Amino acid sequence: MSKLSILLAGAFAFASAFAGAGRAQNSIPYKAPRTVDGKPDMQGIWMTRNAAAFDVAEVAEGRRIPYLPEALEREQKGDRVDPIAHCSMPGVPRITYMPFPFEIIERPGYVVFLYEYQHDHRIVQTTPRAHLEDIGFYLGDSVGRWDGSTLVIDVTNLNDKTWLDSARHTHSDALHVVERFTRTGADTILYEATIEDPGTYSRPWKISMPLHRMTEPGFELREQECIEGDNGQAIHPPYRPAPK
Amino acid sequence: MRPGQLVLIAIFLLAPCVCAQTAAYTPQRTPEGFPDLEGIWQPQTSNAAYSILPHPAGFLLGSGSKTGIVEGGVLPYQPWAAEQVKYRLEHLEMDPTGHCHYEGVPHSMYFAFQIFQSPKEIAVVHENMHAWRTIHMEGRHPSDYLAWMGDSRGHWEGNTLVVDVANNNDKSVFDMAGHFHSDALHVVERFTPADRDTILYEATLDDPKVFTRPVRMKFPLKRAAKDYQIMEAGCFEGERDQTHLLDGLAAIPDHYDQKLNTEPGPAPRKPDKQ
Repeated sequence: MSKLSILLAGAFAFASAFAGAGRAQNSIPYKAPRTVDGKPDMQGIWMTRNAAAFDVAEVAEGRRIPYLPEALEREQKGDRVDPIAHCSMPGVPRITYMPFPFEIIERPGYVVFLYEYQHDHRIVQTTPRAHLEDIGFYLGDSVGRWDGSTLVIDVTNLNDKTWLDSARHTHSDALHVVERFTRTGADTILYEATIEDPGTYSRPWKISMPLHRMTEPGFELREQECIEGDNGQAIHPPYRPAPK
Repeated sequence: MRPGQLVLIAIFLLAPCVCAQTAAYTPQRTPEGFPDLEGIWQPQTSNAAYSILPHPAGFLLGSGSKTGIVEGGVLPYQPWAAEQVKYRLEHLEMDPTGHCHYEGVPHSMYFAFQIFQSPKEIAVVHENMHAWRTIHMEGRHPSDYLAWMGDSRGHWEGNTLVVDVANNNDKSVFDMAGHFHSDALHVVERFTPADRDTILYEATLDDPKVFTRPVRMKFPLKRAAKDYQIMEAGCFEGERDQTHLLDGLAAIPDHYDQKLNTEPGPAPRKPDKQ
């Protein structure tokens, strides 16, 4: 065998090994362990590691929120203090990317989210049911279902009192959020949300981010209570300058 | 065989049956094999949210209770603490639930909740105050932590879930009638399934700084109707409804925490209803 052919053979072996690794990565998605009733197990304590709670555009597809001009105008005239400064619930999807851990518990027919932030919670039924009608909730009305290995949560009945972040990205009470939770590894979940609000955005837009498991041994959620009497200015100053 | 012997034998034979009848109900099991407490539960508390002691109809606009939920209908306060109760009853604006704070344990247990029962952790999710707590079935109470809802560690005694609640702060209260505790409060709860739709809830409250002996309370939890759902209760800072309960209350102080910690006034007015 000539030196050249050895070199070629080596290069071929190297390339095919690489291609094989690539193929393996694409064709074998992570298979999450299952719960007692055979659903993908998302249980544990999770948290994002990003700055989306301060500016959700950071995690938006194309890093841009497709506001309608009239919605931007409305936003400029609105309240300038982040509603969470008054201890209100942060809304959906913001509650997921608040920089605080949250716990997922799964039971047959239910996925329960216990958030350390503001001791909020969401009880999500995964058995089919119709949405409630004409109620405005801070965290909306969540109806869940399993789409293969993905937990899909359809959220409606959200009120217009929450912001998507502390950068004053607002929405109306027509907001409709579809969330998708997919396990991507032992300690990661891919979180995606489609955000739709025809009076505010010119089209539905998407955010996505990984959720990371809190792997510290013995890690437990603790109590987080809002600071009574705090008018919010001190710890949550308005992010954008007021219009002149 | 003499008739007397027959009777004795009959009693002997019947005895196990009597025992079996009085023996506890055997609840269903969760898929993991634990007694199943899951479901939405509505406590039958005889208006304990107004006062855990017997109280007349009309007290704080409630419909009253002849029994209360405290064993013996008496709270064994130390003298200083009894004065404090009178003072608090005159200053209902200090009631933390009027400011949308957590109710604590057992106060939160007077309102509907849903139980989700994992083997290592039991979540108790309340509608009221959008509160929740987890009863950890392993681990120990933390040493550096005080919380409105305390820290709950549970274990099974037969079919009874026994929960030890420590790390309570001194800000939560037992009701709206000024009944309070210190951060020495230690609560032991017992959840015993009584039939398919009933759990007997018992709690022992021990607070050596406030009471002269431990206090016991109990009430049944009833399974909610099938279409009942735990919804969102958005109670936040800035809530002012409490002023509507009593006439002539001064404005709610901005920093009521400090006021909670002040000594009782020199000559507190005798409460009308206590």
